[in-house]
Amino acid sequence: MKRIGVFVCHCGINIAGVIDSKRVVEEIKKYPGVAYATDYVYMCSDPGQNLIKEKIKEEKLDAAIVAACSPSLHEQTFRKTVALAGLNPYQMESANIREQVSWVHEDKDVATNKAIRIIRSLVEKIRLNEDLTPFGIPVTRRAMVIGGGISGIQAALDIANSGYEVILVEKEPSIGGHMIQLSETFPTLDCSQCIMTPKMVELNQHPKIELLAYSEVEDVSGYIGNFKVKVRKKARYVDLDKCTACSECEKVCPVEVASDFDCGLATRKATYRPFPQAVPNAFVIEKTEPAPCKIACPIHQDVPGYMAMVRVGKYQEAINLIRKTNPLPGICGRVCYHPCEGVCRRNYVDETLSIARIKRFAADFALRSGEGVTPPEIEEQREERVAIIGSGPAGLSVAHDLALLGYRSTIFEALPVAGGMLAAAIPDYRLPQDVLQADIDYIKKMGVEILTGITIGKDLTIADLQDQGYRAIFVATGAHQGLELNIPGKDLEGIYQGIDFLRRVNLKGKVKIGRRVAVVGGGNTAMDAARTALRLGAEEVKIVYRRSRQEMPASDEEIKESEEEGVEFHYLLAPTAFLGKEGKLSGLRLIKMKLGEMDATGRRRPVPMEGTEHELPFDTVILAIGQAPELTFKDARSEFELTRWNTLVVDDKTLATNLPGIFAGGDVVSGPASVIEAIAAGKKAAVSIHRYLCGELEEYRSELEKEEEERREKEEVPEPDWAEVYKERARQKRVKVPELPRDDRIKNFEEVSLGYGEKEAQEEASRCLACGTCVECMECVKACEVGAIDHQMQDEIEEFDVGAIVVATGYDLFPLPEIGEYGYGKYKDVIDGLQFERLLSASGPTLGQIRRPSDGKVPKEVVFIKCVRSRDQERGMPYCSKICCMYTAKHAMLYKHRVHDGQPYVFYMDIRAGGKGYEEFVQRATEEDEVLYLRGRVSKVFQHGDKIIVWGADTLTGEKIEIAADMVVLSTAMLPNKATAELVKKLKLPTDPYGFLNEAHPKLRPVEFISAGLYLAGCCQAPKDIPEAVAQASGAASKVVGLFSSEELFHDPAVTGVDEDLCCGCGICVEVCPYKARKLDTEKKVVEVNLALCEGCGVCGAACPTGAAQPKNFTDKQMLEMVSGILRD
Amino acid sequence: MVFEPKIVGFLCNWCSYAGADLAGTSRMAYAPNVRPIRVMCSGRVDPTFVIKAFLEGADGVLVAGCHPPSDCHYQEGNLKAMRRVPLLKKMLKQLGIEEGRLRLEWVSASEGEKYARVVNEFTEQVRALGPLDWKIPQPKGGKN
Repeated sequence: MKRIGVFVCHCGINIAGVIDSKRVVEEIKKYPGVAYATDYVYMCSDPGQNLIKEKIKEEKLDAAIVAACSPSLHEQTFRKTVALAGLNPYQMESANIREQVSWVHEDKDVATNKAIRIIRSLVEKIRLNEDLTPFGIPVTRRAMVIGGGISGIQAALDIANSGYEVILVEKEPSIGGHMIQLSETFPTLDCSQCIMTPKMVELNQHPKIELLAYSEVEDVSGYIGNFKVKVRKKARYVDLDKCTACSECEKVCPVEVASDFDCGLATRKATYRPFPQAVPNAFVIEKTEPAPCKIACPIHQDVPGYMAMVRVGKYQEAINLIRKTNPLPGICGRVCYHPCEGVCRRNYVDETLSIARIKRFAADFALRSGEGVTPPEIEEQREERVAIIGSGPAGLSVAHDLALLGYRSTIFEALPVAGGMLAAAIPDYRLPQDVLQADIDYIKKMGVEILTGITIGKDLTIADLQDQGYRAIFVATGAHQGLELNIPGKDLEGIYQGIDFLRRVNLKGKVKIGRRVAVVGGGNTAMDAARTALRLGAEEVKIVYRRSRQEMPASDEEIKESEEEGVEFHYLLAPTAFLGKEGKLSGLRLIKMKLGEMDATGRRRPVPMEGTEHELPFDTVILAIGQAPELTFKDARSEFELTRWNTLVVDDKTLATNLPGIFAGGDVVSGPASVIEAIAAGKKAAVSIHRYLCGELEEYRSELEKEEEERREKEEVPEPDWAEVYKERARQKRVKVPELPRDDRIKNFEEVSLGYGEKEAQEEASRCLACGTCVECMECVKACEVGAIDHQMQDEIEEFDVGAIVVATGYDLFPLPEIGEYGYGKYKDVIDGLQFERLLSASGPTLGQIRRPSDGKVPKEVVFIKCVRSRDQERGMPYCSKICCMYTAKHAMLYKHRVHDGQPYVFYMDIRAGGKGYEEFVQRATEEDEVLYLRGRVSKVFQHGDKIIVWGADTLTGEKIEIAADMVVLSTAMLPNKATAELVKKLKLPTDPYGFLNEAHPKLRPVEFISAGLYLAGCCQAPKDIPEAVAQASGAASKVVGLFSSEELFHDPAVTGVDEDLCCGCGICVEVCPYKARKLDTEKKVVEVNLALCEGCGVCGAACPTGAAQPKNFTDKQMLEMVSGILRD
Repeated sequence: MVFEPKIVGFLCNWCSYAGADLAGTSRMAYAPNVRPIRVMCSGRVDPTFVIKAFLEGADGVLVAGCHPPSDCHYQEGNLKAMRRVPLLKKMLKQLGIEEGRLRLEWVSASEGEKYARVVNEFTEQVRALGPLDWKIPQPKGGKN
């Protein structure tokens, strides 16, 4: 049996004054297992410790209990003592009879009894204590510093100068933090940039430091000495190694946004360098999420890019940019149904941007000037030839994209002219012949052969094409067959199919038409037929549509223009019979409809209303109720799989039909759809055909599948409230597109829309919000002589092994828009301290002159308000932001130095100037620079003329004060940097209620976290000034260096392993372990433990149903025995 | 004679045990009835420890840990206690032990005053419930 000794401490009278230690000794001696017991006045003193050592040896003790103060004070002391006497240190237990007994109880008897019970419970525990030895774990002697402000820079330099590698991660494109934004620093007034930039350069050039600018910590795992950190290196789009910082890219960038570095007081480009001394000294291109217009466009046309080019007058660049993705710009600029405009965020400001018409302007410019109409040189010509059936938008697009890939193709067109529906169905007043021809000519210039008047299936068969050596075939024959209306009288003379009618008018010119015309249907074909009928001289044209206007599929523009031209619309009306006289049409019998249930298309089904039948006289009826493909090309050898609507079945990813080498797209697959969708299909097919001809179609298909899966898995980021985001944007109405006057229109087929002129196009393009920031106009690529720009760059994730992490993420200022009562946001001349620093800075937006933001005037009276939202329990932060007293004194002083006849006022609560030279500095401000300090809070700030009136009270004199100021500077509360909150989650860091990081101990461990291996420095911990931040950083660095001083560190052995014989492999402990120390070995069906990760909390021990997980020296058995021991009277 | 309840207190090392220490350093006198047992984490408290305490004659059991959600030194051990204790209370109730005899409290290292208050309150609460005379319910007679 274990021989246990008990040593009872008097702690002077602290313990012995209440507890009868003699009785304790007597009683405990009787307890089973206790071989020896004694008391002493100060057990922690040298004689006390010697007593323990001697008695352990003399009495041959196996374990010792020291009944004294709390284990948090002397557990380690006494463990060392027993170790010196030859025992394992874990054979010592502290019985806390001071803090939890003698100091809190007065009754001697009661206290003595409680002390005895506590000691008994520890006797029970120690009886079963195992000898434990700390185990070594290797240390990766490389540190990571998160944050590149002054604290991070200092910590990194100190660690690196001690000979260890450092990785510094900074989320911004340059290191420097807030300090590099400052003008001069208190109390010495040395220039911030002058003392900061050498440090930044030293860091960048240090052989032991790897700088990861524009990078963010993505994930952290591991433990002290052995962290694994995943870092996202954000795509900079500029190669750091190649960029020479010549700034040519910046000059040509058309996008201007507010400069964060200048706190919104100036603008910068989307291609930028935060400030000239940036480190690394390289540019970066800011790309936020892709613009919604680009996403909505079926071919993902780069809209913001050509908007920017038109705005700055670079029309040729605009058309070149459009042509990069769009083979038919002139056509799309006119007849595209522009889904891009539907999602345009300008809508949240006023009205959507007129995107299609700006495209038309660019295309017309090219046509007029003859610039941008020459196709690019194709570098590599390929052997394989491709046959395309149909010269509509799908056929033209596939030919265009195949030509770019080096393939020669031949388009076979059944009609006598090229263009498919564009030529046959869209009237000239919407799409003039020359515009269509220009786009077709461009494609012809690329080497595409167009053979008109050849119908595949009649003149040639698909088999013939294959025999002639075409290695792939693309079927794009469209949907040219009008659907019939199966009602009595359908064979009467005077009934046309809309599509046939339009084709005849377009290709042959005149078609005979009656005086009274009815058009049945509600799509664009119906509108075109009606408007064409008007132009051919019909006196009255009525559109008969069985649903309501809401369900009508025609574009709003066409409906509007039809109405303007005098077409009559009859909704909820359907024909039931054609009426005729002597084989000729004389009218329609019609019935009124009402809307019933939703049908499969999501539209409400029209239902006839009984008893509403009536007749109307007509000379001509044009049917435009839908179209289907004509499958003339089908023959015995080519059995295409068809849908029940007679469209071709294709693979939705590659557009391959069931026949090898034959692809299809456009209306023949989708049924009647839009031009842009046909173009998209053509472009998609071009890539498929290319991969097919390379023998990689299957591979391509799985690539596409993978892409789609990735897209599906991507979490959708919730959209911000755009209306709120753009609240401050200046309103600017959409520029109207000039049109032919109504009366001029219906006499001829002249184009109705006249398009923008240069001025209007520029004005309209300037309304673009440049949603993605970078508009991908590629001007920077052209301007960069060293080829450093790569718009295809992707974020990279790299994993680093580090042994220690220093967090130095810094601060933000209290968001100004939330400080309404001081007029921020309403009045331009109310700014914050950091903005004032930029005004003071020689490299700032005013080059160091104090000029107010609203009108650039030099302010003669400036009011500084301190403690804005700090020391404000009700509306802000209860804490003191610590640096404001000093920087406000500095601001007021520097203002006075620049504006000699100006008067600075400071409203303050208290002046806190504790620090070397600080109080003297404030004195200087008041005495030498005549800064007027007013003790009191400001009650109101409001604009009056060009002055800002500040109402306040001087609580020292009790007077009410009114100052007509030119500018107001708010000293706002410091908050933890926004990025800190993210990091808190990833590193599981403790914070205070405001989000500042909590150090391990507020006095004794100020630069480390409670979790081992993690350290902190700077304002992420609390507001502090530069010297304090630097001192803390050096402190954290020295802690890191201390950790790295040996190759191994020792882990507390009080951990929880696993008894494999008892483990049933249920895995419950794996789930409850917060350190991922436990893992289920699925083969052995038992849990395995990485003891280095175990922190010894014992949660697994409580969860384990079999007792296989036993926290060392806190086993279930020990705990149960302790319970018995402590309850025994 | 006034009934002096016997109470076992399981105190987590980082918050509640330190809070109890703080009550001591601040010399806040409180009822002596809670007999403290230090555990590393309130999440270590296995329900059997509590049952054992009642079996061995405790009239009440206090479990104290770090404040949820995020004070826990071990990240979330306190949340485990937060889920276990209410379930245990339900079970104890079925065994004939009043829910008021088991108490879960959050006491931080800076809440010496709260620790003292909790101990006093709980002592009174258990005192009011009277001594626990708990017989383990035996299976009814008959052949199984």
